[in-house]
Amino acid sequence: MVNPRKPLAAVAAAAVALTLAGCGGGSSTSNNASTKGSKGGTLYYLTFRPAEHLDPQRMYIGRDLADMGRMVYRSLVSFPVTKNADEALKPVPDLATDTGTSKNGGRQWSFTLRDGVKWQDGKAITCADLKYGMSRSFATDVITGGPNYILGFLDVPHAKSGLPLYDGPYKNDHAADFDKAVTCKGNTITYRFNKPFPDLPLAIASLRSFDPYRKDQDQGDKSNFAVFSDGPYKLQGKWDTNKGGTFVRNPNWSQSSDPVRKPLPDQIQFVQGLTNEVINDRLISDSGNDQAAVTDRVVPPAFYSRINGAVADRATQTDSPFVYYLLPNFNQMKNLKVRQALMMATDSQGWRNAEGGSKAAKPAKSIVNPSLVGYQPNPAFTAPQTGDAAAAKKLLQASGEAMPYPIKFTYNGGTPTSDKAAAALAAGWKKAGFKVTLDPLSDTYYDVIQKPSNDSDVIWGGWGADWPSIATVIPPLFDSRINLTSASNGQDYGNYRSDTVNKLIDKAAAQGTVQAQGKVYAQIDAQLGKDVAYIPLEVTQFYYLRGSKVTGYNLSPATNGYPDLGAAGVTK
Amino acid sequence: MTISSDLASHTADTSLGTDPALEPVAGRSPTQLAMARFRKDKLSMAAFVVVAVYLLLGILAPFGVKFGILDPFSFHSSAKYLDIESGSIPKGFMGGISWSHPLGLEPGTGRDVASRLVYGVTFSLTIALSATIVAVSIGTVLGIVSGFVGGYVDAAIGRLTDLTLSFPQTLMLLALSGLAVAMIVQAGVPAGNVAQALFVILVLGLFGWPPIARIVRGQVLSIREREFIEAAKLMGAPRRRMYFKEVLPNLWAPLLVYFTLTMPAYISAEAALAYLQVSVKPPTPTLGNILTDSISYSSADFFFFFTPAFLIAVIVVSFNLVGDGLRDALDPRGAR
Repeated sequence: MVNPRKPLAAVAAAAVALTLAGCGGGSSTSNNASTKGSKGGTLYYLTFRPAEHLDPQRMYIGRDLADMGRMVYRSLVSFPVTKNADEALKPVPDLATDTGTSKNGGRQWSFTLRDGVKWQDGKAITCADLKYGMSRSFATDVITGGPNYILGFLDVPHAKSGLPLYDGPYKNDHAADFDKAVTCKGNTITYRFNKPFPDLPLAIASLRSFDPYRKDQDQGDKSNFAVFSDGPYKLQGKWDTNKGGTFVRNPNWSQSSDPVRKPLPDQIQFVQGLTNEVINDRLISDSGNDQAAVTDRVVPPAFYSRINGAVADRATQTDSPFVYYLLPNFNQMKNLKVRQALMMATDSQGWRNAEGGSKAAKPAKSIVNPSLVGYQPNPAFTAPQTGDAAAAKKLLQASGEAMPYPIKFTYNGGTPTSDKAAAALAAGWKKAGFKVTLDPLSDTYYDVIQKPSNDSDVIWGGWGADWPSIATVIPPLFDSRINLTSASNGQDYGNYRSDTVNKLIDKAAAQGTVQAQGKVYAQIDAQLGKDVAYIPLEVTQFYYLRGSKVTGYNLSPATNGYPDLGAAGVTK
Repeated sequence: MTISSDLASHTADTSLGTDPALEPVAGRSPTQLAMARFRKDKLSMAAFVVVAVYLLLGILAPFGVKFGILDPFSFHSSAKYLDIESGSIPKGFMGGISWSHPLGLEPGTGRDVASRLVYGVTFSLTIALSATIVAVSIGTVLGIVSGFVGGYVDAAIGRLTDLTLSFPQTLMLLALSGLAVAMIVQAGVPAGNVAQALFVILVLGLFGWPPIARIVRGQVLSIREREFIEAAKLMGAPRRRMYFKEVLPNLWAPLLVYFTLTMPAYISAEAALAYLQVSVKPPTPTLGNILTDSISYSSADFFFFFTPAFLIAVIVVSFNLVGDGLRDALDPRGAR
């Protein structure tokens, strides 16, 4: 789950999440890079946002999870390096010998460690390291910022607050609970959960929080930017939190023990703090080291007209893991007909065009990203993409409310683009008989919309799944029991509350397979559509340039749509 | 040239209206003489016409919007108008120029650029004019009091002027914008753009008065020694009468010049503030808002980038030329 524009550090760990999960194969405008690269050289990764954590149990940004998973942190299972979008989200064995065996309807999972897998100091990775890694997530006072699903899933006793009694390896209270839930037998680790966790392999492959961690390397919070590698690269020197760092080959990693990664460059250098404009200017001019550079920063729409000729051969577009949507505030907009009118009048096409058109955003038919297992278009969203003002007006008239109906639209603003996109929606709503007040917020955005007393009528939201299962989209966004408290509405910014949906969420969680869960989630999504609990706006696009010497370039759902470092190389 | 240096000459000059050089031209008042001199100055006259056109546009634009002649808010964002595949840049010649959209369309939205610019002139001029009035009013009152009373009062106002000048104005604007706007709203001003505009006006005005106060003080120092002031004093005129009936009328020439030179500075300031996100918020167009948005299109849609920049440059230069022309006309010894 993710709020793509949300600064994670500002959010309570329990409420947060960052991305994962993929994107159904986007349209590659071109992909001339040869898949066969040669070894050697330095690959550059130009980016803007400094990493907040490199600790595997604390990372939660899609870019970092993907990059570190390919370079330094191996998981029991991983998503494969592939150009086939259908294969990309099927986990394959990595540290484990297979993709795990589940018992008891998905409540118990076992994995066996592969022989010959080593840490960067040459010592073998053990089952105890895996167990220790997971235990760190329970130290919620030290290991902050990372995903915390495991706290709810693992079969350990919980306090009334909802947190487990076991509090991690530092305080080590109630350690016996944890030792019972996670057991080692030789090289085989077994996890016991208190409910079915059929998508566990997807979660392991997507996040880094299930990865092993060596106890003697753990310095708690001080390890935040330490990298103790078991992958093909290791960090050279220290990570510079402002500038980035360089990864060099890890001599204790062997290709024979790793069926996933095909590391080609000798070095991968991360350069942080460059703006989209600077990065894409440099990639367009393609000189010097930038010829061997990739980025996670999209081409700004004003640059699109410069992407032609030879430059267009170095541009690739794919679906991002993110969906943007609107949430009607159920505390304000209680009349269903009004919400239907709003949905009918929403000019999502105008919104997307203001964001830069088809290379910036594509139509969305659900809050669920099309790449997720079990995705189905939501049947409720029948309005044309440009909105239907006449039909909306009729609905609004039938609602019995006085017209023009006043609404306040709160969005994450502050840039000319977001203001134009919001104005596009406002223009459509006005035509249907709404009187719109635009309320752009920047730094304070989530503080304001998470207050249950927020008087906005319509709220912008964005989300990406934590792993490619709808279980990381609909429950975190619409389960009123975990979201709505007197102090905050969690991720349920629209204060949506439905017993029907809550019951169905429980039903989905009780299913033993991801496919069976998907069917129930489709039912829930249809109900959300009927209630107009949300209005989808777009599947955000990733449109990236790369340098001319980059080989094996692949924007894969396996790496959240970011360039896959498991296959990229550079030519001389 | 900077405003303070423009006006340095005024600190030195004394009685504007009674220059002996003007005496031979019989039957004409000093004002008429100044006007005649201004009319002879072709460049200033041209600039004056441009300024008049801008002012007229600014005044008429709200009516144009009301009666549908100008349409700054309608979207033309379908694929018919915008190149959706290429960043929503308007299709057609020079950013979509046509008879119905003489300056083309805005990238991303397809709103009419000409309408938005004309309507933007209204908001920009309103902000700049209000801020100038605030600055000139405060500066004039404090300048007169400071120069006329002298002593401790003069010293106190002088230090206040220094303090205000040494304030990091831009920093304050950015740091305090949220808080100050909230306070303005609490004071009963409608939230949103009215409060935002008032904040910009107040900040520009409250930080802009010191140079004016200094100029006025310099003028007053000489005026207060003149006979008619002595006479008024002897007749027991009250203070307020001295300030506003005796002194102020002798200050109108430098104030007028200063006014026309402050306006363009504030028009540019509004543009800069829009770039820093502290001015009136979109979709309400101001020249600054439009310019801010246009910067990113400098290569993709050059004409869209060029027009607001050109418009701001022309209005700033014109106001400055009018100001210079007025100064020359009112003070023939100054520049010639």
